[in-house]
Amino acid sequence: MEQPVIRIKDLTRYYGKSKGIEHVNLSINQGEIFGFIGPNGAGKSTTIRILLNLIFPTGGSAEIMGMDVIKESKKIKNLTGYIPSDANAYENMTAGAFLRYCSRFYSSGNSDRKIRELTVLFDLDTKRKIADLSRGNRKKVAIIQSLVHNPKLLILDEPTTGLDPLMQERFFDLLRKENHNGMTIFFSSHVLSEVQLLCERIAIIKAGNIIKIEHIDTLRKKQLKKVFIEFEENLTSDIINIKGIENIMQNTGNMLSFVYSGDINDLIVKLSGKKLMNMTIEEPSLEEIFMHYYK
Amino acid sequence: MIHNRSLMNRNLLVKEFRVNTLSLTVWLLLICFFVAFTMAFYPMFIENQSQFMGLLNLFPADIFEFKGVSNFDDLFSVLGFYAANNTVYMQLFGSIYAIVLGSNILLKEEYNKTADFLLSRPLTRSDAYLTKAAVMIINILILNIIVILVGCVAIEFVKTESYSFQSYLILSFYTLLLNLLFGFAGLFLSTLIKRARPITTLGIGIVLFMYFLYTISKITADAEKLGYISPYKFVDANVLNPDYSLNPWYVLYFAGLTACLAIAAFFIYRQKDIYA
Repeated sequence: MEQPVIRIKDLTRYYGKSKGIEHVNLSINQGEIFGFIGPNGAGKSTTIRILLNLIFPTGGSAEIMGMDVIKESKKIKNLTGYIPSDANAYENMTAGAFLRYCSRFYSSGNSDRKIRELTVLFDLDTKRKIADLSRGNRKKVAIIQSLVHNPKLLILDEPTTGLDPLMQERFFDLLRKENHNGMTIFFSSHVLSEVQLLCERIAIIKAGNIIKIEHIDTLRKKQLKKVFIEFEENLTSDIINIKGIENIMQNTGNMLSFVYSGDINDLIVKLSGKKLMNMTIEEPSLEEIFMHYYK
Repeated sequence: MIHNRSLMNRNLLVKEFRVNTLSLTVWLLLICFFVAFTMAFYPMFIENQSQFMGLLNLFPADIFEFKGVSNFDDLFSVLGFYAANNTVYMQLFGSIYAIVLGSNILLKEEYNKTADFLLSRPLTRSDAYLTKAAVMIINILILNIIVILVGCVAIEFVKTESYSFQSYLILSFYTLLLNLLFGFAGLFLSTLIKRARPITTLGIGIVLFMYFLYTISKITADAEKLGYISPYKFVDANVLNPDYSLNPWYVLYFAGLTACLAIAAFFIYRQKDIYA
């Protein structure tokens, strides 16, 4: 049986008395795009920082490609790319000088061609100083530096923050291409929709604990939507009892707000006899998804 | 290029050296200017020896002892003049440079939020520490060597009689040891900082406090023992003493304390949580 690229066993980290993560268990396979979602402060970055040996666990263990993340971090980092969520590059360097500096750490040889390809793809001016770059352009630098050495594993911590929709699309296309060529991707985010776009499996983390590991197809079948309806008349129990209506957040007079689990067309059909004044359907927030999973 | 067997990373070494070149140049120019400027007064000092002697006799005989001047006649020899007036530049300003460099060289990666980029490279903590410590040592060495050369040239220009070059080198060696000690003190302090922020003010404060303690201990008999807290106590600046030589105990003190700080910083940094 093939060895997982990332294997995390009972990983725990406390900051003094407060919990960072507790008994986190994960196994990510070769060639997988794995989503790691949770709200801010849930423990996503703590897990990633332990994987990269930036912080140390208080319990448990983690391996990347069969190597211990503490004892063999140098070997691991030679095979790993990382996009930090909120890190600065050296402000006095130009983007090009920074990317060349990053690439010289690796044994993968001349990375100039790869840097050129990626800077063209992301439309990055490499002659500008990092201090003069916008947030989005700095994120492009962070993306490119993570890929210059053709890593086998790419760890992304909120990688799309600051990127405009066009660049996000290019970035996702690039990730799909790299994944097609064998790269394993560990994608941490608090935006469910982008994780859903890309990932095959996801883990949901909340307050330091993994509360669910789910295949994305299973998640899609659940088709969670946040629905708000304003009726012309006051609500009746037959509406509230419609199958799939969960986590009712507002139920006053003629207004109803809830999370709907199932095919949204079924809901529309069931509501067809009712007179509506207003209706909105949107992505539920993570909190609302968590409530669904906690049930 | 990867350096699996090397203790240092050449890529990081070159980059760090470039980054620190500007501040090294500024400090070098500043200290060299002060050294040359002060030595330029020596010929006038000699020409007006009797008037200066009359002025100096108004002070207690041991007032300049903290500068290695045990009697006022010492001030009229070129080496005595150099030791009394110029040593302070390197022992104080050089030490401030060293502690500021040492306290920032690792810590700046954290408070500038660049640590994630650096430490996600194929680089162990030991590699990062040893490379940065090497850059610090090289910078302190360059500062000392150039100031030694400039001081030497300045002395040659103004001297009216021969002087002991060996004593000059010994004094300069003590200064180098002092600077290295403060450099590693800064490095050690930076590894203790949990939530990264610049500690430049703390570093400068430590150097000034140590110099103050030493000065007080020399001019106040009651505070003499306080001087042992300060490393300045172990810099023998009495260059005109005929038996002036390197005191092995003093050298051992500097080497031992510097090694302890360097080793402690190394092990703390290897286990330190890095937040960006």
